[in-house]
Amino acid sequence: MAQQNRQTDQQFMLTQQLLLSVVEQMKLPLMQIARQTELGLCDGEGLETIRQSTQAGLRLLESYTLGVRLAQQQTPLLDMEPVSVSGVLYDVAQQLQPYARAYGVALELYVDGRHGPVMAHRQGLQAALVSLGSALIETIPAHEPAGNALRLSAHRCRYGVVAGVYGNLPGITTQALRTGRQLYGDTRQPLNAFLYTSGAGVFVADALLQAMRSHLSASRYQRQYGLGAILPVNPQLRLV
Amino acid sequence: MAVILLVEPDAVLARTYRSALESCGHVVRVAVSAQAAVAAADEQRPDIVVLELQLPRHNGIEFLYEFRSYVDWQPIPVVAHTMVPPGDIAIAQPALREALGVGVYLYKPQTTLRELTQKIAEALEAS
Repeated sequence: MAQQNRQTDQQFMLTQQLLLSVVEQMKLPLMQIARQTELGLCDGEGLETIRQSTQAGLRLLESYTLGVRLAQQQTPLLDMEPVSVSGVLYDVAQQLQPYARAYGVALELYVDGRHGPVMAHRQGLQAALVSLGSALIETIPAHEPAGNALRLSAHRCRYGVVAGVYGNLPGITTQALRTGRQLYGDTRQPLNAFLYTSGAGVFVADALLQAMRSHLSASRYQRQYGLGAILPVNPQLRLV
Repeated sequence: MAVILLVEPDAVLARTYRSALESCGHVVRVAVSAQAAVAAADEQRPDIVVLELQLPRHNGIEFLYEFRSYVDWQPIPVVAHTMVPPGDIAIAQPALREALGVGVYLYKPQTTLRELTQKIAEALEAS
């Protein structure tokens, strides 16, 4: 009973922290829209900026809703199904491409070799990668001289297939992960940590992946540094 | 007309603020990080700095300590225009205002473009 109460308390705390971090993060797209409309330059480019900011906000809310639904389940694990990683990455790239363009980030899709289906929850995985990708798209232009390129990538590793988002600056992704994880303990950061990172997006992605028995981890591949999720390949699915 | 150094890490917001300030006749230089801001100030001395405190790697407070350590930059007015709510740095505010010369503190989500341009004009006039 006591253990059950503790679990419920933990879930409640996590949901609260998730909500706080999402609320903090939502200020950015809303502010972008407010200032753009105030500027009155609602030409083609201005309207596109407003549309992208709105989409970013909606994506964040969508991921948050999914995260809360997961947290409210008795067993906080998603139903797993065979999922094509390259298919998910393609969809993620489609969703993120206009947002990346608005931030001047070149987003490329790179799937190394052919991978069989992995065990994951398609909607959850997609939401996690979109959330992670959005967070890094917002952050990477501020890291000079990182270049403004991100890569959505999948490759094999010893434990399965790694799907994630990579850039060419060492440290940026681990910093994003650290900031995201800090939100588990405290949403507001102390003065000495006024760092510009989109912690909420990483936090949401991590929470979603944890519900799929996975988690975000720092990863390095082909001289690119990134954050990715290790997805197990079911040997039986190789016959499919 | 003044030379404004806008330290803003978000590319979309930076574009919007730049347009707004340029439409007021100012010359705007955008820096996305503390290091870039110091380099930009070194290249062209700004008349005023509009600063976000949340920056990648080195935050705005660290930037201010470095910025104010150079004698010829000490008189340059700084407007903190930030996502950090004023309540979060209540203790730091006197230090910010006195030691680091932050004349104006604006909470970004609640500051309209008109208010920002007005505060910048006031700060320029006062300097």
